[in-house]
Amino acid sequence: MSDAQMKPGTWARDIAMALGTYVPGFARPPARFVSERGQPVHGIVGEFATPAAVYHAAEKVRDAGFKRWDVYSPFPIHGMEEAMGFRRTFLPLLVAAIGFSGAGLGLLFQYWVSAAAYPLVVQGKPYGAWEPFVPIMFELGVLPSAFAALFGMLMLNGLPRFHHPLLARERFLSVSDDTFFLCIEAEDAGFDADRIRSLLEGAGARSIELVEDDA
Amino acid sequence: MTQAHAHMGPHQPAISDEAYQERLDRLARHPALGEQFTRVRPGEFASMQHLLLGVGAVGLGLTVVGGFVYDIRHALAAYEIGVLAATAMGLGALFFVMVFHMTNAGWSVTLRRQYENLASMLPICMAMVAVALVIEIVSGGVLLRWIGMDPHSDHLLHHKSGYLNTTFLVIRFAVYAGLWSFLALRLRGWSVEQDTSGDRWLSRRCRFNSGWGLLAFALSTAFFAFDFLMGMDFRFYSTMWGVYYFAGAAFSSLAALAVMFAFLKTRGKLGELVESEHLHDHGKLMFGFTVFWAYIAFGQYFLIWYGNIPEETAYFIFRKTGGWAILGQVLIAVHFFVPFFLLISRVPKRNPKVLGALAFILIAAHVLDMVWIIKPAVGASGELAPMSWWVDVAAVLGVFGVLGFFMLRAASSVALVPMKDPRMEHALEHCNYV
Repeated sequence: MSDAQMKPGTWARDIAMALGTYVPGFARPPARFVSERGQPVHGIVGEFATPAAVYHAAEKVRDAGFKRWDVYSPFPIHGMEEAMGFRRTFLPLLVAAIGFSGAGLGLLFQYWVSAAAYPLVVQGKPYGAWEPFVPIMFELGVLPSAFAALFGMLMLNGLPRFHHPLLARERFLSVSDDTFFLCIEAEDAGFDADRIRSLLEGAGARSIELVEDDA
Repeated sequence: MTQAHAHMGPHQPAISDEAYQERLDRLARHPALGEQFTRVRPGEFASMQHLLLGVGAVGLGLTVVGGFVYDIRHALAAYEIGVLAATAMGLGALFFVMVFHMTNAGWSVTLRRQYENLASMLPICMAMVAVALVIEIVSGGVLLRWIGMDPHSDHLLHHKSGYLNTTFLVIRFAVYAGLWSFLALRLRGWSVEQDTSGDRWLSRRCRFNSGWGLLAFALSTAFFAFDFLMGMDFRFYSTMWGVYYFAGAAFSSLAALAVMFAFLKTRGKLGELVESEHLHDHGKLMFGFTVFWAYIAFGQYFLIWYGNIPEETAYFIFRKTGGWAILGQVLIAVHFFVPFFLLISRVPKRNPKVLGALAFILIAAHVLDMVWIIKPAVGASGELAPMSWWVDVAAVLGVFGVLGFFMLRAASSVALVPMKDPRMEHALEHCNYV
């Protein structure tokens, strides 16, 4: 794929990035930004002292229109999903689509086998009787639904992962104690180092740093 | 803790009486629990009550007229469709009240008083069933045709006559009525008593009585359904029948309560006490019992279809012929597919008016379920008048109108939420997060 097809924030780039990260033998697409040391840039992280500070910073980043960013905190912050402007996940639609296709395929295959391909009289029942199909349709509905929910969730949130660029930074480790971080990633279509720096400064970050992707 | 409470629980409660009193004081100051949200002014719902009572009187009057236009079978069937549908609603509400107590549920505290009010309709429902029972016995079996039959005339009836005899039926009915009236009235009574006294041990007493109450409820509901619905065809038997009636009971009680909450919310009651978060979970229960009904209704049909035993299949074969087949298909659509797709999304569950409107479909589905069970039994015992459906409509509206009147009276007479429930603060902060 050419660079033009690999614009940030597109599905093609996301899938290529996921393949390059998790599947051996695949190369990740070239980094959009490179640091002075020549390392790919993961993003810019701001450090905040209080939950309130990071909460209001999140509101500003949300209103500035960023899409690829996250807040890191030692504990859940009430109302953060609204401050970050989370949209509802489309996972339910994925589950519904897979569940109903599973049930539909279950019906189709059973009807085809018992009424067309290999009709057998079982207990004197009609060939195309729908009743015995139902348990199998149910199973083929719920099992793929459960798989779609679990693996779709993992696919969408990028878990499991063995490493995260932020974890290479000594200062970030206090996120499990008393510090709050907000990181805007280079994969965001509107990534602009100067703009982000002034945005985070304006939001009251006590330190702002560039995070390199050292993986 | 006084000595009287010693048998009821641990000797040291989790928080001291002083800390508990502080919690009650916080609740007393809470703006959401203000008088305008939790109390119905005398006569505030009077116009709606008069309307319901009027509909009830006209409906029941027309049912009696129907009895003369057609015959007693048609009128009694119509009346029982209404009464057994309403009894199911009361039973479902009683079930949920006991489950909430047993599980120490916090989220549902602000909803629970309306469940208690609906459950307290059970004594009235039982009086209505008693009327039907007296008519059955006096006329020697109208829908419960075994009442008038000589047990020696039918081998199966003779085989079952140890259970299917009038004396035992009356005894069983007295047990059901006494048990349900006791549970419904006492659980509501203790809850109302707590509104003023704030005695947290009343919650404990409710939980204790819900324990054995649930077990007794499960058995009595099943046998009630055997006696008054399955008994219309004494040859038919299904061990799933009690569960089938229970599934409809839970389903329809939640629907009736959704209507009640929508009504109270539109009249400016409850305010922050019952919000989208609570209704969302109430709606989840509605969705769950939609699926549960479909699951056990299909399970019952499926095993009978596979087993192919004549006494069992006759019930379904009769209901799969002629017009009943169409009714059965409509029933599957409105009792499962329509609510399933309407309630699967979170949006309708979080809007009181939309949820209340959808609940009417569920109530209609439940009534249709009773029609599908009871009405063919009329045809089985003689000619079925094809235009007699207006008697069914009149009787159902009549019974629901009368019970709606008493329901609003019950709601108006006490606070709309359990004011001093120990778990009230959980309910006030209830949130689904996703």
